[in-house]
Amino acid sequence: MNKSKIILSAIIGIICTILVCVMYMQFKIVEETDITGIEAAREEELQAMLSSWKTRYEEIEEKLTETQQKIAEYQEKIDSNEQASELLDEELEQTNLLVGKTNVTGEGVVVTLKNNEEKSITASDLRTLVNDLKLAGAEAISINDSRILSMTEIVDVDPYILVNEERIISPYIVKAIGNPTYLSSALSLKDSGFIDNYTKLGKTVEMEQEKNIHISAYNNSKNQLQFRYAKEVKE
Amino acid sequence: MNKNRIALTLGIVCVILTIAICVQVNTIKNANSTVSKTFAEDELRDEVLKWKEKYERISNELDEAEKGLAKIREESTKDDSNSTSKEEQITLNNNLLGMTNLEGPGIEMIVEDDPNEIGPLDDIYNHVVHDADLRVLVNELKNAGAEAISINGQRIVNTTAITCIGNVIKINDERITSPFTIKAIGFQESLVGIDWRAGYIQQCLRPAGIVVNIKKSNKVEIPKYTGVISAQYMNLSK
Repeated sequence: MNKSKIILSAIIGIICTILVCVMYMQFKIVEETDITGIEAAREEELQAMLSSWKTRYEEIEEKLTETQQKIAEYQEKIDSNEQASELLDEELEQTNLLVGKTNVTGEGVVVTLKNNEEKSITASDLRTLVNDLKLAGAEAISINDSRILSMTEIVDVDPYILVNEERIISPYIVKAIGNPTYLSSALSLKDSGFIDNYTKLGKTVEMEQEKNIHISAYNNSKNQLQFRYAKEVKE
Repeated sequence: MNKNRIALTLGIVCVILTIAICVQVNTIKNANSTVSKTFAEDELRDEVLKWKEKYERISNELDEAEKGLAKIREESTKDDSNSTSKEEQITLNNNLLGMTNLEGPGIEMIVEDDPNEIGPLDDIYNHVVHDADLRVLVNELKNAGAEAISINGQRIVNTTAITCIGNVIKINDERITSPFTIKAIGFQESLVGIDWRAGYIQQCLRPAGIVVNIKKSNKVEIPKYTGVISAQYMNLSK
């Protein structure tokens, strides 16, 4: 064994170690790049995020003002020893409306899906449509007069589709109340919108904008809107 | 002669390692081309953070105000049974809408992208959790009678859409990423049924290598929706 060889191997060893360390650090950095974080977002995405936060801020600001106002009104009633029944009625009506316990009217779109000789409409098609409508800001949706709420399932049970445990069959008439321009342009987006996508698959889909759509209240005697398991957390 | 061989080996090793490092550095540059910041983007980023903070602050304020409202509503109705029943209905409505934190028996489910290495001929697309998968799972939970559902802290409410932009999933306009924690309150035996029944998990997710773990819990906590649900286009039918 000669001395210079040992030194040489030692140097090789050190160099290799350093290089491996550098690589390891690099890998670490790659792993830590968080795709959901705003650090990694690009300019267009940042613009979209910014406008989304601004809109949400405005919405919540309005809600806050409203809530504070209601508190003040209740306080007034308490101070003057009056009944608060009017205030209660108003709040009850408003929340019933939002939950879906009342018939509602408004502008929006009506989408009709039909089974044809070759292709049938499936629960999954309806779910995709409902999701697209919600994304475009629909405030109320019904399928064949069954109201779609937050916990409404849409499932295939051949030869029916089950919505709120009710059997429905083709033609499926999906009504949505919301900004008609947003709703219809979201669905009719060229090549990637719901209508183009499903027409390409050979399914029968039609959409119309309407000024005066009626959507009925959630109405299911089998499944009342109440909680058996969930309880509000009160601090 | 011997020295030449050593020098050669040394050279080759160095070249390989250098190339590897270059590749890495390049990947990072591409992945973070964003972080590699133009000035305008930095400003935008600060702006986004500022608004997010503002939103969070006012959101907490609203939280407090809503608690105050619930309390004063209860107080103003305590002497009158008719009013009390109305007050209870309003509270139930707010619970149904997702405006309150809920707890109860149910399940917690973790759904995660395939952790195994993807073969060279295989497409990563087939081994990650997509927005469509989450929609199907949520629908199966609803079908099993779930009373409330959240995914990574995002409450599923009337107006919730589950979508994706590129490889990021969005719920209630918030970005979320794998692993996904899906919580549901309801009848436990029925909820866990989505695992063993011949459903989506067994037929589609597990065969693709997606990891799904479901456990029962007697105290599932589901947070409230942090956005605002409003009626701008729908009116009460007269």
